[in-house]
Amino acid sequence: MTKVRFSLNGEVAEVEVEPRELLLDTLRDRLAMTGAHAGCEQGSCGACTVLVDGCGVRSCLMFTVQVGGSEVRTIEGVGSPGSLHPIQQALSTHHGLQCGFCTPGMVLTALELFETDPHPSRDRIEEWMSGNLCRCTGYVNIVKALEAVAGTAEEQL
Amino acid sequence: MSVTAPPQAPAETGAALRRKEDTRLLCGQGEFLGDVYRPDLKHIAILRSPVAHARIRHIDGSGALTLPGVIGVFTGGELAAETGEFSHHLPMIPTLRQITWSVLATDKVRFVGEPVAAVVADSRYIAEDALELIEVDYEELPAVSDAEAGLDPEAPLLYEDWGDNVFLFMPGSHGDIEAAFAGADGVLQERFTHHRISGLPMEGHGALGEFDPATGRLEMYVSTQVPHTLRTVISDISGLSEAKIRVVAPDMGGGFGNKAHFMREEVLVAVLAMRVRHPVVWQQDRTENLLSGLHSRQQVHEVEVAYRDDGKILGLRANFVVDVGSPELYILGCAPAIVTTSVVPNCYDLQDYAFELRCVATNKGPMGGYRGYGQPQGIFLMERVLDLVGERLGIDPVTIRRANMIPDEPRPYVTATGSVLDTGSFGDQLTELLEAVDYDAACGARDEARTAGRLVGVGIAQMVEPTAPNIHGLAGRFGGYEMAMLTVQPDGRVNVAVGTKSQGQGHETIYAKVAAETLGISPDDVEVSDGDTAALPYGIGTWGSRSAVMGGGAVIKAAQQVRDKMAAIAAGMLEAPAEQIEASDGFFRLGEAAIPFAQIAAVAYLHTFLLPPGMDPGLSVVVGYDPGNTSPFPDERGKMNVAATYSTAAAAAVVEVEAATGVVTVQDLTIVHDCGTVIDGVLLDGQIHGAVAQAVGQTFFEEIHYDENGQPLTSTLLDYMIPTFGDAVRARIIHRETPSGLIGGFRGAGEGAIIVTPAALAAAVHDALVPLGVSITQSNLSPPRLRALLRGHSTA
Repeated sequence: MTKVRFSLNGEVAEVEVEPRELLLDTLRDRLAMTGAHAGCEQGSCGACTVLVDGCGVRSCLMFTVQVGGSEVRTIEGVGSPGSLHPIQQALSTHHGLQCGFCTPGMVLTALELFETDPHPSRDRIEEWMSGNLCRCTGYVNIVKALEAVAGTAEEQL
Repeated sequence: MSVTAPPQAPAETGAALRRKEDTRLLCGQGEFLGDVYRPDLKHIAILRSPVAHARIRHIDGSGALTLPGVIGVFTGGELAAETGEFSHHLPMIPTLRQITWSVLATDKVRFVGEPVAAVVADSRYIAEDALELIEVDYEELPAVSDAEAGLDPEAPLLYEDWGDNVFLFMPGSHGDIEAAFAGADGVLQERFTHHRISGLPMEGHGALGEFDPATGRLEMYVSTQVPHTLRTVISDISGLSEAKIRVVAPDMGGGFGNKAHFMREEVLVAVLAMRVRHPVVWQQDRTENLLSGLHSRQQVHEVEVAYRDDGKILGLRANFVVDVGSPELYILGCAPAIVTTSVVPNCYDLQDYAFELRCVATNKGPMGGYRGYGQPQGIFLMERVLDLVGERLGIDPVTIRRANMIPDEPRPYVTATGSVLDTGSFGDQLTELLEAVDYDAACGARDEARTAGRLVGVGIAQMVEPTAPNIHGLAGRFGGYEMAMLTVQPDGRVNVAVGTKSQGQGHETIYAKVAAETLGISPDDVEVSDGDTAALPYGIGTWGSRSAVMGGGAVIKAAQQVRDKMAAIAAGMLEAPAEQIEASDGFFRLGEAAIPFAQIAAVAYLHTFLLPPGMDPGLSVVVGYDPGNTSPFPDERGKMNVAATYSTAAAAAVVEVEAATGVVTVQDLTIVHDCGTVIDGVLLDGQIHGAVAQAVGQTFFEEIHYDENGQPLTSTLLDYMIPTFGDAVRARIIHRETPSGLIGGFRGAGEGAIIVTPAALAAAVHDALVPLGVSITQSNLSPPRLRALLRGHSTA
């Protein structure tokens, strides 16, 4: 077992894990951060996306021991009921989620985009988001929501 | 642990959310199956067959048992001795092979991925390690990897006692097919093929079971569209009474019909929970999902069409050969194919129709339901036939459709297969589509592009969809009704429980809306729960575009009953007849006088001395709702009305084909859609956009592949491609609202777009390829498949 310390949504997290334990499992099973979802466990779908030091990663492909000393941000650190992040609010307003299983990964991937490029074009949004799969919405309303955020991104972010 | 505040106060915070579901899902606070927590939870991993067809000579799990953290290793033979068996519950169909099967394979495996043994361990890591220590001695047998090959008399047999591989043979003959062909000016012969795909919900199947030996109660959390009927099946096999079983379907990461079957693994979890006396969970991983959970669509249609020179289709004969893979699935995996046969006449006046259906067992993963449920194939057949006959006769696609369309009167119109259509005008719907897309201009633009050497095509298609069907004929039980419970609490807030199960459709929002409208209150005051067998006696679940129709109807019926009781209480207090009392805006009103809704609720529970004499306290009802217009079985002529009502749609697509790459660009897609009364237009459009994406996926991206030995070649999302952001097609959606005669006027939505779109896309691609003389008779138009079709045809 290996002791790993990292920052989780601004708080110190310390866990003892086997070297093979995946970040996704640590977050979900040890730290009760169940917003990251296991959609494929093969790095293809993006439902488990979290931000490590500001960069989107597939937590199903990352070992927990790799995040020692890093800052990890999950959906639980983005917004909360009653205080939604503009991306979350826009997804609701434009009906950009149905089952909601892929949604946390979508929000975190979009968050990284907006933090580096507050006014992305539709093409840029579609290219940036293309590693996150959704089976319900056909993407139409997710793009609409993110375009809405992009249009007012300077004021909101 | 505290939550980090967003960078700055968001401007829109506090704005109304679109759906009741949204807050928890957006914040990662949904409770999906994998989020259900139990202390002391143990994990199940399933050993699956690596070979397509083999006898199991011996299984040795002793090595796995030595691994620290392993609690038990279970094999099929051992569990089968103690449990009941699955069957299809259709002894009344003599041409269906009557088979039984267990939670795990016993003597034989028949597809790669078939569950063979299960490990229960402290963690999933340990459970999966342990799988590698189980030794299975397989005696490999030759495999059947194609349905038509499986019909060869020399083909290997999946079930030796059958003598062949035909799982279901079903003939049908309607009208006078011989006379139709005798009177024909010409006959079209064609072969249509549909490829194998998967519904692929982003969350796979899964189940968690907890058994309490002290009470003998079993609690199951299952990612299922059909919690109540699953409870019945768990009872069948576990031997527990339904009174001792609670099934909860938590938030679901999609289902799309894949989760409207009863997976053997789900029942395995129940059985193991009772055996190991720990809560246990199984979560299907993506590879398991692509191998076994479930496949759909694969069919071959050989058709003969008798037509007149004026374009009228006189009769149609079809031979359907369906690759069901492993037949060990309840509800019957060939149920969608039966639906295919029944929808072929579509919205056309075709009464002379005969078919033979052969569902062939092969060494592939089980075929099951997926959004559209056999209808995309049937609609594809009829729509392609019209275009191909029209092409032969020089009649354009619009004219030949109008020449064959079911006339506006009379209604109901009874189709060849017995569907009792209550729909609006197909002709008006088509006119609306053509005007919306400016069809003549689109064809003109295509002609110009063609002159410039580009492969642009315009295609149209129509469909009529049996919605809110009766499943009894396909499952041998269950029916087509729905139930709802509605309780007004003492504070005037309302709880609604329904027997359907949302997988993302937003049922909490729409049921709250219909209940609130009936009660004259705000939807904010209505809490909806679905998917809990403890909350309601029974329910038939969500599938078949039935939830708004049957669930919505049940909720409205329950709300009406409670509203009427509340009106009677108000009438007593206002000393007026109940019929004169109206419920609106949170009040029961009589002229200027008004009593708040919540005050009546308080009377019913807290101040019952104010109730009218003889009235029982409380404001709660459980209702069942069944319009009673569907058939549980076909009649003696093989006809049945399967559906409580019918939705319709027409679609037009404009595409461009790049010959060098085989890539098709959808330039325009327009759908005119009639699902009766619309509850929430934004959510409805969301359903249509999603169905369009899945139609685009199945047409241009997705295919489950096997090699000739029955080895799957698509076991990850790197091999099985689904559309992503750049592939989004922004359909233009137009709603017609022709109310059904049922409560609420709903017709049902969710599937229409996936039924009609593949046919429209195929028609458009066909049209684009006219200059090359390439005919489209297959559902798979992915770049490699299209390039293969184009090979040898000049693109000059």
